[in-house]
Amino acid sequence: MINLAYKDIKHSLGKFVATSMGVGMLLGIVLIMIGVYRGMVIDAQVLIDDINPDLWIVQEDTLGPFAQSSRVHTDLRDTLKVLDGIDKTAALTFEGFQIDVNGKAVKVYAVGYDPLGEMSAINPKRLIKGRAILKEHYEVVATDKIGLKLNETIRLGRDEYRVVGITHGTVSSGGDPLIYLSLKDAQKLQFLYSNFRVRNDRLRGIKSRANDLVNCVVAKAKKGFNLEVLAKEIAKYRHKSVYTQEQERIILTKNLIKMASKQIGMFTVILIVVSTIIIGLIIYTMTLEKIKEISIMKLLGVPNSSIIKMIVQETLVMGILAFFFGLLFSHLIYDKFPKRVVLQNHDAAALFAIVVAASLIASLIGIKRVISANPAEAIGG
Amino acid sequence: MDTAIKTEKLVKHFGKGDTLVEVINDATFEIKKGELVALIAPSGAGKTTLLMMIGCVLTPTSGKIWLGNELVYDNKWLTKEQRKIRREKIGFIFQAHYLIPFLNVLENVILIPELNGVGEAKAKEKALELLDYFGIKDKADSMPANLSGGQNQRVAIARALANNPEIILADEPTAALDSKRSVDVVKMLKKIALEQNTAVIMVTHDEAMVPLCDRVLTIKDKKVYNLAIDEYKNRAIV
Ligand SMILES: Nc1ncnc2c1ncn2[C@@H]1O[C@H](COP(=O)(O)OP(=O)(O)OP(=O)(O)O)[C@@H](O)[C@H]1O
Ligand SMILES: [Mg+2]
Repeated sequence: MINLAYKDIKHSLGKFVATSMGVGMLLGIVLIMIGVYRGMVIDAQVLIDDINPDLWIVQEDTLGPFAQSSRVHTDLRDTLKVLDGIDKTAALTFEGFQIDVNGKAVKVYAVGYDPLGEMSAINPKRLIKGRAILKEHYEVVATDKIGLKLNETIRLGRDEYRVVGITHGTVSSGGDPLIYLSLKDAQKLQFLYSNFRVRNDRLRGIKSRANDLVNCVVAKAKKGFNLEVLAKEIAKYRHKSVYTQEQERIILTKNLIKMASKQIGMFTVILIVVSTIIIGLIIYTMTLEKIKEISIMKLLGVPNSSIIKMIVQETLVMGILAFFFGLLFSHLIYDKFPKRVVLQNHDAAALFAIVVAASLIASLIGIKRVISANPAEAIGG
Repeated sequence: MDTAIKTEKLVKHFGKGDTLVEVINDATFEIKKGELVALIAPSGAGKTTLLMMIGCVLTPTSGKIWLGNELVYDNKWLTKEQRKIRREKIGFIFQAHYLIPFLNVLENVILIPELNGVGEAKAKEKALELLDYFGIKDKADSMPANLSGGQNQRVAIARALANNPEIILADEPTAALDSKRSVDVVKMLKKIALEQNTAVIMVTHDEAMVPLCDRVLTIKDKKVYNLAIDEYKNRAIV
């Protein structure tokens, strides 16, 4: 049996492939957008997985320290430490900065931790050059993406800092590259007011001491203690909000997933609808172009089913071809994006299924035209 | 001789009310197998209309049509699948070749036989035989766009013959050809009619073709007449 779709595609191959490539780019963008979303979800968890505590203790009634601002006293670290069931604790600060790197402003996220403390914020696996912070002042560890070199100095606030280590793949929950500072430096940068403010506070009898505050305290529990129970106890007696690592993960990802998936979902739907319309219109015009031949085929006795099969197959081939062009396209460009793009096979598979379904829908207007073509009108006169 | 086509009080009107066009008010005639019949009438007389009704493409207003011994139309189509009748019993030839541009010559010819369930090998064998007969076997793999008008018309005739039709309906098959080629085509149709015992109705405006035919169908005042060649000549119509 002659495959009409194959013959027709072969006959107008250039146009067919060009259209598929165009639609393929749209589908490639869909894949990239889904990849951006996957990247966001992964980014959101990098930092908390690097610190990897069992409990996050933050300001009461807040969703801190990332989703909402939170301040707790630094000495909470020491009072928690002596609690039954707590093994290690650490006080941490988090703050967004804009720094100057070779004349360019770069948005970074600063993590302050006590280099002499019990828990480090730096995952040694991610440290690719140099070392973690050892001194309590003027040392910084930076993510490679920022573009800083080992031993380079940068200015933060009023002071010069030396880059002592470079990490790879470390980002904030919002995807900004990280720098790490000693807790004391970070506190100074975050909490020390301007000279004017300090003088003003002094006159009012307010003592401002930078080292009093941090954004949260994290803790590792001893083996055999129920984390939920510990969390409840701390929350109750210390008037703090306490989250387990998994709860913190949910705080970071749930909202993000909700918002971002809605956003990206909208774009994806729009692009798929546009792709469907393009494929539908192209197939329709291709059908119109050969409507005379289709009428002749009907006149000669070719059943509708054969002609419809041709249209459907052509549309499917166009959709599938476009999908693979899109897949190729997305793999060629995904690493050129500033933020993490993660292409996953199951996302591509889902898009493939959607494209197949969309192609079937796209073939409908062509099919409608085929059915309405009148064989008696095929031959003029 | 067996009947190939028979019609009785066939009527075809287009439109309704103010826009009513009466094209054929009475077509009652019979055509035998093996006959080559010329259909001659002025432009707009309803030649194509008549052909398309016999070919089960156009639905008559009323009347009866038999193809072979089968009553196919009796004020309504008696089968739901007119297209099946067309592809199994009828070969169509038109003024233009109407080949499918994305199929090559051979594929154009085997399209309908394959749909009729003739195996690919058999259909190809028969198609090549026909193309050979028309002197275009070497063009079997060419696309219609790369053939001359005359070559394409021969492919179209081969296509009309490929399903071994009982009836060939040819609407001005020679209009686009020069007089020598026209005579060739008509002679060929005559030969096919005789050899395959096929009834051929051929619409033509060319009186010179009439002597090559067995009978003449003509339409006058919306009525169809089936005349012997002598009768037609003596009537001196048109
Ligand atoms: N679909 C239609 N609707 C209305 N009128 C039609 C339709 N088809 C044909 N007619 C009319 O029927 C008449 C016969 O048309 P037909 O095409 O059968 O003529 P013809 O004899 O084949 O003419 P020609 O020699 O020009 O091909 C014409 O007056 C035409 O206008
Ligand atoms: Mg006509």
